Amino acid sequence: MTVRVAPAVLTVAAAAWLVAGAAGTGAQDACQPVGAVRASAEPLRAEQPARELLLVPGTVARPGVASPTRAPWLNTNGARFMRKPDAKYRYELPEGKGALGAAEAVAYGADAVLQVAPADLPPVCRVFAFTRDVPPLQLPPVADIGVVDDGSPVVAEVMNLLVRRNLLFQIVAAPQSTLPVNVKLGTPEYPVAEAADPSGFALKIRRQLTDDRRRLRLFGSEVVIARMTGDGSRVRIQLLNYGNRDIAGLRVRVRGTYRTGAAYVLDQERVALADYVAADGATEFSLPLLTTYAVVDLR
Amino acid sequence: MERRTFVHLLAGLPFLRASGAQLAPALPKLRVVSAYAAAKVPGMPGPYPGTVISVGSDRAVDVQTNTANADVTREMMARGMCALTGASTPAEAWRRFFEPADVVGIKVNCGGFPHCISDYGIVAETIRQLMQVGIPASRIYVYERFQNQLTECDYGPKIPEGIQIVAAERANRFADNDGYDPATYLEADLFGEEDTRSNLMKLVSQRLTKIINIPNMKDHGAAGVTGCLKNIAYGSFSNVARTHQRGKSHTLSFVGTLASIEPLRSRTVLQIMDGLRAVWHGGPFARSTKYVFYPQRILFGTDPVAIDRLLLDIIDDKRKAEGAISVWDRNPASLQMDNSRARDADPNVNILIREPSHIEFASSLGLGVYDKARLRVQEIRV
Repeated sequence: MTVRVAPAVLTVAAAAWLVAGAAGTGAQDACQPVGAVRASAEPLRAEQPARELLLVPGTVARPGVASPTRAPWLNTNGARFMRKPDAKYRYELPEGKGALGAAEAVAYGADAVLQVAPADLPPVCRVFAFTRDVPPLQLPPVADIGVVDDGSPVVAEVMNLLVRRNLLFQIVAAPQSTLPVNVKLGTPEYPVAEAADPSGFALKIRRQLTDDRRRLRLFGSEVVIARMTGDGSRVRIQLLNYGNRDIAGLRVRVRGTYRTGAAYVLDQERVALADYVAADGATEFSLPLLTTYAVVDLR
Repeated sequence: MERRTFVHLLAGLPFLRASGAQLAPALPKLRVVSAYAAAKVPGMPGPYPGTVISVGSDRAVDVQTNTANADVTREMMARGMCALTGASTPAEAWRRFFEPADVVGIKVNCGGFPHCISDYGIVAETIRQLMQVGIPASRIYVYERFQNQLTECDYGPKIPEGIQIVAAERANRFADNDGYDPATYLEADLFGEEDTRSNLMKLVSQRLTKIINIPNMKDHGAAGVTGCLKNIAYGSFSNVARTHQRGKSHTLSFVGTLASIEPLRSRTVLQIMDGLRAVWHGGPFARSTKYVFYPQRILFGTDPVAIDRLLLDIIDDKRKAEGAISVWDRNPASLQMDNSRARDADPNVNILIREPSHIEFASSLGLGVYDKARLRVQEIRV
């Protein structure tokens, strides 16, 4: 992945770290944490293995199952974070995956420690610095779908596929009348046997919801996962790029009309949203470049 | 101009009635979004619906070396353009279509590299004629969707300096969208894919005033054949590979519908089908010469359907002569889904159920004349 340094988005601490590292004036094995997300190039301390080990995020080659270009297989951890938001997690990330792991943990507000390759510390630190520099905005998650979680692995995989397909859901104790679609496995509408094909199951849910009613759509990539929070007047969309290359011109459609927007892209200056259209009950825009991580605010 | 939306599902109904009701359930809902109005006389089918000029020469290609004879090609083009327009000179013929203020795109086909791509001589002669009309090199664009394919074909040294050679994406890897117009697209959920839009190249919608389409004569694993319609449609819109997978091809309605979208339909004013070389199986690719043959002709017209109707027979006749199954074959026994290696090894293997009826479907959208009895085909030998 291309390494960029954009001083405008670095905090003083992170910039100082980079300067020290670049000058070889001292070995650095960690960077300043963000929230409950920490990273280190050193082996995890003795207590850390007790944390739940996460998948290495990114695309995975699955010949015969997934197409690298059109329908790539993604390893993501978003559904796990949503299912157990209070759990403690750890990543063991090979070189090149540090920034994505950091961005994923930050985007979902996870309590996670990342063991990363030494070469990945600078990009991880830039993710943390970027996160600190983005204006804080605490908003509740946005959902189109309610999922009744019975704690089973089957539901876990259904939720994983919903995240994978950017079908925004929340975990509910019982079906909610405020949500267009509620999924409870074991009911006549959602037999457990059907969920044995999680991808097909997610597609069924999508078609029940219909694309027109989805709060969020992405066009121009099959490797970007969005997390969306919002209230009646504002939304924040966090975009995670699980692919191995930057994406130019990702098109985003959000249901609802928003007058203006701002985008913050990792390793870029604050960028203007392109081809912004707010009409017919929806707002659309293009993100000129998506690196590993971006945050878009609409209001 | 107001944003307009069309649902094309109903447009193909006459075609469906003619072809049998069994096709009806297979047609997906296609939604076109475009703010562009049609020209008074849209480029497709243009001023010569149903007319095809076929110019052939036994001297067009040295089949031992796969080298085209540029002098013969130039003569074939002169004769073809004059016959199409009724003009007495090639210059006059080209002026019927173009004026000095135009910005012209030449849609080439690089998919059959190295053995069957839009011929360098045909492309060069096209450019020469455009420049004689008075269009400067800086306003002539040779285009394809993928830069890596253009780089392979390397038209630069074969054409005048200053011609723009442009692509929308660096390669077919679904990461470059900024070369496409976010407001002009075809939306369809075909297989449950997440990205349901195919967007028109910005070059086409925002820069070009006219387009010349230079496809090859090729077999195609999903569409049956690839000629004028497929080249202009799938070569000008993003995210089209999604239309065919797991044995099923939605090219039947997708190809023609894309070609009918404004402003592509109005601006594509001339079709020059390069049939110097052709591919009778394994298309659209031609990484080896195994399935390459030499019709040694160029087809001229403004009606993509009429030309593609002839192409169907050219490819299928060759397949019959080689003992291969027809492009119309829908026998499940011929299908080895996604097994392109088997397909490349055996011309009696399909990897998808092909949809050569996409040409007739395009006719139902008003893009041209499909009925052979209504075609006016003029054969010329050079």
